[in-house]
Amino acid sequence: MNPSGEGRVTSTADIDAAASPRENTRFKDKKDETVISVSGLTPSAARYSRLFDVLVVAAVVTIFAGAIHLHVMLTVGDWDMYVDWKDRQYWPLVMPVSMIMFPAALQAIFWVNFRLPIGATVGATVLLIATWIGRYANWWIWTGFPFTEGVPSQALAGALLMDMTLIVLRNSLFTSIIGGFAFGFVFWPSNYSALAPFYLPVEHQGMVASLADMIGYTFPRSNMPEYLRIIERGTLRTFGSSVSWVSAAFAGFICIFMHQLWWRLGLFASQATFLKNSDVVKSFMGIKSSVAS
Amino acid sequence: MLLKLIKFAAVCVAFIAGVSHAAAHGERAQEPYLRTRTVQFYDVHFSKTDVKVNERFELTGKFRLMQDWPDAVTPPDIVFLSSISPGPTIARVETYLNGEPARQSFAGLELGRDYEFRMVLEGRTPGSSHIHPSISIKGSGPLVGPGQWVNISGEAHSFAFPIKTMTGLQIEDLQTFGLAHAVGWHLAWLAVAAAWLSFWLARPLILPRWLVLQKGREDLLISLRDTGAGIIVAAIVLVMVFGGYVRASAEYPYNVPLQSGLNRVAPLPASPAYVEIKVISATYDVPGRSMRLATQITNKGSEPLSIGELTTANIRFLNQSLPVAMADVDPSYPRDLIARTGLKLSSDTPINPGETKEVRVEATDAVWELERLVSFLTDVDSKFGGLLLLYAPNGERVIAEMGGPIVPVFTELK
Repeated sequence: MNPSGEGRVTSTADIDAAASPRENTRFKDKKDETVISVSGLTPSAARYSRLFDVLVVAAVVTIFAGAIHLHVMLTVGDWDMYVDWKDRQYWPLVMPVSMIMFPAALQAIFWVNFRLPIGATVGATVLLIATWIGRYANWWIWTGFPFTEGVPSQALAGALLMDMTLIVLRNSLFTSIIGGFAFGFVFWPSNYSALAPFYLPVEHQGMVASLADMIGYTFPRSNMPEYLRIIERGTLRTFGSSVSWVSAAFAGFICIFMHQLWWRLGLFASQATFLKNSDVVKSFMGIKSSVAS
Repeated sequence: MLLKLIKFAAVCVAFIAGVSHAAAHGERAQEPYLRTRTVQFYDVHFSKTDVKVNERFELTGKFRLMQDWPDAVTPPDIVFLSSISPGPTIARVETYLNGEPARQSFAGLELGRDYEFRMVLEGRTPGSSHIHPSISIKGSGPLVGPGQWVNISGEAHSFAFPIKTMTGLQIEDLQTFGLAHAVGWHLAWLAVAAAWLSFWLARPLILPRWLVLQKGREDLLISLRDTGAGIIVAAIVLVMVFGGYVRASAEYPYNVPLQSGLNRVAPLPASPAYVEIKVISATYDVPGRSMRLATQITNKGSEPLSIGELTTANIRFLNQSLPVAMADVDPSYPRDLIARTGLKLSSDTPINPGETKEVRVEATDAVWELERLVSFLTDVDSKFGGLLLLYAPNGERVIAEMGGPIVPVFTELK
């Protein structure tokens, strides 16, 4: 197997040549039957492998939903947590840089080991589902905050583009350069579509505020004073009101490197490595040491 | 086995059933030097303590930023006026600091000066909520004022917060506006993702693909049809991203960025009449729960002044023999923060203009323990602070800051 995941289909004729339909493997597509056939699994083993698939999917969904959600909450929590933190400079920058990590690692694991171009999409999907569960359970049921205050971001657009780049180019480096950049770059426009109403202007106490500002102000987070929000501090003003696109482009640039780094971390983490037990450890497990035996 | 499971379930149910809602916010856990030497609230008034859902009430008052600000606390260079409640059980309608709008933070507040706040709040969640005014200080966190129980009656679902945008859009409820739009987009993205995932999950997945890949037959796993599907999905995604952005920009052309910044506000005018207080000695009788102060008070005003109250950490020790001091207690002030035994003085006679008088002040009450204030004895600098309120015969009130080192006395109760 090519460890970096590069490779191309040579001919579909091989598929037909290798096809040897087996019975009762639950896959009706001829190509799927071919895969089962070439894999060497018996019909019974193929059926159990499908059960194994279900278990793996369940495990991946639950484990990574929790892991990615925790990771995002710990690294960029407030930016994703509150609608009045979703500014046009830092939010489009910090969110994708953090959000790309697990999807990139999952993409590497799924692609290199199974040639499945779905890792990034899986990561972004389970993250969004877990986030909404958190918003509903923690923010609404438990503490009574209105949903509008905790509308989350989504990274699905970028994740899908990253997976599409992978299946078309089948190269981790080019996926980093094009897919990674796309992940960071489309974060702002793909989320602005959903959140645009929250930036409508209102007049409050003689000052202009966005609806997002008003939501955060009206429904108090007791220990979240206004000064904690990090809103457009820096020197990107040269670009006038286009500051978001500058942030988006910079996010894309950073995501190139983040993707490659986490792709490699994903591969490293998915290695099955066995260490030889020492005699002491063996003795703990009731195994006689080689010296004693 | 079944019996054990039933017992375990019963214990779990009993545990969950026994969990009660948090009633307050741990304000007593704040270290005493934070509560006695930073922000002293006074004249705090709740316009109502029983409100209905959607009914407004006001929380007003003043606070003094203590001159003897502890080194361990960041100076109040950037502050934010806020209310503290158990979650958003109340809605915040308007806030003012010295009459200036206080939606944003303030910079440059002065130590030793007074500020007046006003908050317009609205009942949101039925129940009894402990509501405090608070001053959040960047670098130090929120410093809370006296908390009062506010009973909110009515139905939670009847709460709505209407607002009108500058573009003329009338929003019926700020709690739900834009939510369906955002959720709709998220569902649309999830639908695309689900379609792409289903495209692959329907096929042989983990073991067969791994085995085939081990045999070098990648060509069986990724076909040109798959690549074509990927290109189509990519096109759909790009159309959704940029089409959605263009549409949102056209639909909301007058959007504004999040607003943030610092306001500045001048302190309240300093009182022309004032006193100087020198704390000669201060002790805290640990078993007696009594703070005893030996003070030297100089009246630098033109009217004789009588000591009416010692307030610190929102607790009020009143000179119960001075009617004007007793009349100054707002009926809405939390009763648990008014010391029952009051303030004892070595001399009740007024301090005349220009006179310097030595007065022994004794503030004794179990509230020191209840409010967990005696742990100031274990602070690194073991100091206390507070405000002494003095009254002239014409009712004029003079507020003077006092404080200094304090020494614990571990005498035995007799």
